[in-house]
Amino acid sequence: MTNFRLNVNGAEFSVTTNETTPVLSVLRDNLHLMGAKPGCGEGQCGACTVLVDGNAIHSCITPISDVAARSVVTIEGLGRGAQLHPVQQAFLDHSAFQCGYCTPGMIMACVALLKKNPHPTVQDIRRELNGNLCRCGTYARIIKAVQQAAESAQDG
Amino acid sequence: MAENLRTFIERGLVTGASFTRREALKRLGSGTLFLFSLRNAKAGGQKQPFLTSRLHIGEDGIVTVLTGKVECGQGVRTTLTQVAAEELSLEPGRVRLIMGDTALVPDDGGTWGSLTTPETVPVIRKACSAMRELLCRCAASEWHADLKTLTVTNGQISGTGGRIYAYRDLTRSPLLANAVSADARSIDPNSWRVCGTSLRAINGAAIVRGALPYSSDLVFDRALHGRVLHPPNHRCTLGSFDASEAEHLPEVRVVHDGNFLGVTAPTPDQAAAAVAVIRAEWTNGELGDPRNLFADLKAKAKPPELKEAGRYPALLEAGSLAVGMEAAEHKLEATYHITYIGHVPLEARTAIAQWQGDQVTVHCGTQAPFSVRGEIAKALNIPAENVRVIVSDTGSGYGAKHNSECELEAVRLARGTQEPVRLAWSRHEEFTQAYCRPAAVMEVRSGVQGDGKILAWEFHNYNGGAASLAAPYQIPNRYAAYHASESPLRQGSYRSLAAVGNTFARETHVDELAAMLKLDPLEIRLRNIDNARLKAVLTCAAERFGWGKSRSGNGVGYGLACNVEKGGHLALFTELEVDGSNVHLKRMVAAFDVGAIINPDILSNQVEGAIIQGIGGALFEQLEFDKTRILNGRLVAYRVPRFTDVPDIEVILVDHRDIPSAGAGESPITTTAPSIGSALFAATGKRIRELPMLPAFAGSGS
Repeated sequence: MTNFRLNVNGAEFSVTTNETTPVLSVLRDNLHLMGAKPGCGEGQCGACTVLVDGNAIHSCITPISDVAARSVVTIEGLGRGAQLHPVQQAFLDHSAFQCGYCTPGMIMACVALLKKNPHPTVQDIRRELNGNLCRCGTYARIIKAVQQAAESAQDG
Repeated sequence: MAENLRTFIERGLVTGASFTRREALKRLGSGTLFLFSLRNAKAGGQKQPFLTSRLHIGEDGIVTVLTGKVECGQGVRTTLTQVAAEELSLEPGRVRLIMGDTALVPDDGGTWGSLTTPETVPVIRKACSAMRELLCRCAASEWHADLKTLTVTNGQISGTGGRIYAYRDLTRSPLLANAVSADARSIDPNSWRVCGTSLRAINGAAIVRGALPYSSDLVFDRALHGRVLHPPNHRCTLGSFDASEAEHLPEVRVVHDGNFLGVTAPTPDQAAAAVAVIRAEWTNGELGDPRNLFADLKAKAKPPELKEAGRYPALLEAGSLAVGMEAAEHKLEATYHITYIGHVPLEARTAIAQWQGDQVTVHCGTQAPFSVRGEIAKALNIPAENVRVIVSDTGSGYGAKHNSECELEAVRLARGTQEPVRLAWSRHEEFTQAYCRPAAVMEVRSGVQGDGKILAWEFHNYNGGAASLAAPYQIPNRYAAYHASESPLRQGSYRSLAAVGNTFARETHVDELAAMLKLDPLEIRLRNIDNARLKAVLTCAAERFGWGKSRSGNGVGYGLACNVEKGGHLALFTELEVDGSNVHLKRMVAAFDVGAIINPDILSNQVEGAIIQGIGGALFEQLEFDKTRILNGRLVAYRVPRFTDVPDIEVILVDHRDIPSAGAGESPITTTAPSIGSALFAATGKRIRELPMLPAFAGSGS
C-alpha cells in the first residue's frame, strides 16, 4: 500500500492503495465520483474515459501511480456550477444518448478530441472516438453534437 | 362486457401494509395516493376486482405517476410523462414518474416486447383523463358551477372571482368520501399539445452531467462485495469443492447453497481473490459440438406447438402448398442460418441486496422487476410481498435483463452473511452467464409466377422463435412453422428476438426470387404487398433513397428490405461499397410507420439505434464456443458496431394520428441484415445466407 496525492477536478485528495489499483476504482470506490463507468475492464469501450492533463485515458486500465501529481478531470468537474460545458450542452441539444451509460466517457473523449483538433472533420471524429462504444447506437447524433460544440467554441 | 366497466377512483388508505410497503410510501412525500379500479357500473360498483395505486398528488401539486415499466434508454420515462401531462392538462415539469419499485407501483408487466406504448400508455392515459374529469367534477360540485363550462389549463380550473381549483384540492373533496366513477374521453390526438412533440429526455441533464444513478453507481455504507464462482456453462452442476483456503482469508465469508457457491469480502478485489482460491469440480457440462450446431438444432426440433392464438402462433397456414407449388412457374428452395449473439448492454448488471428480518430489498437494473421479485420469492420459498425490487434507470438491456440472475445471487449472499451485499457482474460474466440470442435455422421453399407473384410459401424456423413468421405478402398458399429445439447455449429474449432471423431469411429469399426472375427487388415486393402502410413506407423510402437512379456493380451495391413487426411498418434501403473482403456501409434510408407518434425525436433515435445494433448481428457479431464454454466473452474478442462501422442514416417517420401507437424500440432492427445482404449481392453477385455475413463473405473468395 502506498499513499498517493491526487488532483481530481481541481481538488487535492490523499488515497492509500496499491500502485496497480486502476484510476477508475479510486474515483468510484474512494472518492465516490460515479460519473466514469466500468464497461469492459480492458480499455475497449471507453465508458471509463477521464482526462489526465487534458488527454483522454481509459481509467479502468490506468494504474493510480500513473496519475499521481497530475491533473485528473472527470465528468463531474467539466461544467462550472449550473453551467454545462459546451460539449455537454451539445449532447443535450442533439439527444446524443439513449440509456446514457456511455455518455460521461463519450463526452470526456469529445472534450479531449476538440482540444487536440478544434475543427475535426466527420472522418476525424469517427476515427478519434472509435475507442468509445455506444451500444444503443447514437453515433450519428454524437457526431452532430461534436460538430456543434466545435462551432460554439469558434463563435465564443 | 368491457363497455360496462368504469374507472373508479378513491383515496388510498394505507393500512396493514408490510414494512417494505411503508418504507416505499415515504418515497412519495406528503400528499394523497389515488387508487384506481375497474368495476361493473351496473352492479353498483360493489365488486372490487383489482385496486391499482397509479397516481399520487403531492401537497406541492406535483403529480406522481406510478408504473412497473422501467427506463432502459428507450425513452419511456419521457413518453409516459408526456402522455400523463397531456391527459392531466399539466405541464410535463409538474409530472414525476416512479418506475419499477415493486412495493409501490402497479405490475405493468416486464419492459419487453415493445409493449409499453401499446399497453401501458392507454392505461396511464385512462387513469389521467379520469383524474382530469374528477377535477372538473369536484370543482363544479364545490362551486355549484356547470360542469360543461369548466376546462383544465396548466393543471387547474379558473373560476369566477379569481377562484382556482387544482389537483391538490381533490384531497379534501367530499365527493371522494367513497370511490367515484370517473371516465373521460382521452384528449383527441389532433389536439395534442405535449404528445407529438420532441420533448427532451427527462433524465437528459443528469445523463450529460454523469449524475444519473445506475444501479451500479449506488453506494451503500457497510455493504460487502460479493463474487460468485460460476460454472463453465449452464449445464454444469456443482460436485465436490474445497473452500477452506478462501474461508481463512481475512474478513471473507463463503456462502454455499445447493449449486450456488459465492463469497463476500470488504472489497471487490478481496472477493475476487477469495473466489480464485476455491477448488470446485463441476459435473455434466457438455454443450455439444459447435461444428454440428445447425444440424443438431434441426435434429432435435419438435413439431410446432399449437397453443391458443397468442401474439406469435407457431403455425400459420392458408390455402394448399401442393396446389400452389403445382401451379407455380418457378420454384426456389434455400436454407438460412443465424448464430448466437450477445446483448452486450454497456452496464453489466449489479444488484445490492439487504435483508431486514424476513424481508429483503434488492436494488438492480432489471427490465422486469415483478418477474425478478417472483423468481426470488420462489427460489427462497418466501412470500412475494417480502421481496422489494427497486429498479434504477438502466444502462440498457435490449432484452438481456429479464431474469433474476445477479439479483438472486446477491440475495443469497446477503442472506448467508446477514449483511447488505453488492454484487457487480464483470463484462466476462455478462457474456458468459447471461442468456444469449438464439441461433436458428430457417428453411424456405417457394413457388412463383414469372411476373413475381408468389403462389406458394413454405417456411420453417428451427429454434429461433415465431416473431415475424408471418410474411407481409399476399400469398394464397402458405405454411409457416416454428419448431422449438434444444439449444446448447442458454438462450432467451433479444431485441425483436426471432424476427431478426425470420426477416433475414424471408427478405433474402424474396431478393433471390427477384434475381432469379430478373425483376427489380422493389418491384417484386410491391407486386406481392397489399398492405397500404407497408407500400407507403417502401415507396417513400425508395424515393428519398433515389432507388433505381444508379445501377449496382463495380463493388457498389444498393439493396432493400421491408417488414411488419409488432405493429411497426418498416422499409430500409442500403448503399454499400465492397473493397476486397471489406464491406463499407455508406448510406441507409429508413421509413417507419408506427401509428401516432408520441415523441418524434425519441422515435427517430430508437430507429437509428436499432438499425445500428442490427449491423453488428448482420456483419460480425457471434459468440464462439466449444464443448464446455463460451470462448470470446470479452469486448476485445467480440466485435460490436463502432463509429467507423456506421453509415449515414436518414429516418423518415410517417405519423398517423388516427392509428393507436405501436411500440417501436425493437422492430426497426429486423430489416438491417436483409437490406445489407441485398446490397451485398447487388454489388458482388454473392448471396450470403448466414449471419453474421462477413466471415462467410470473406471466405467465399473474390
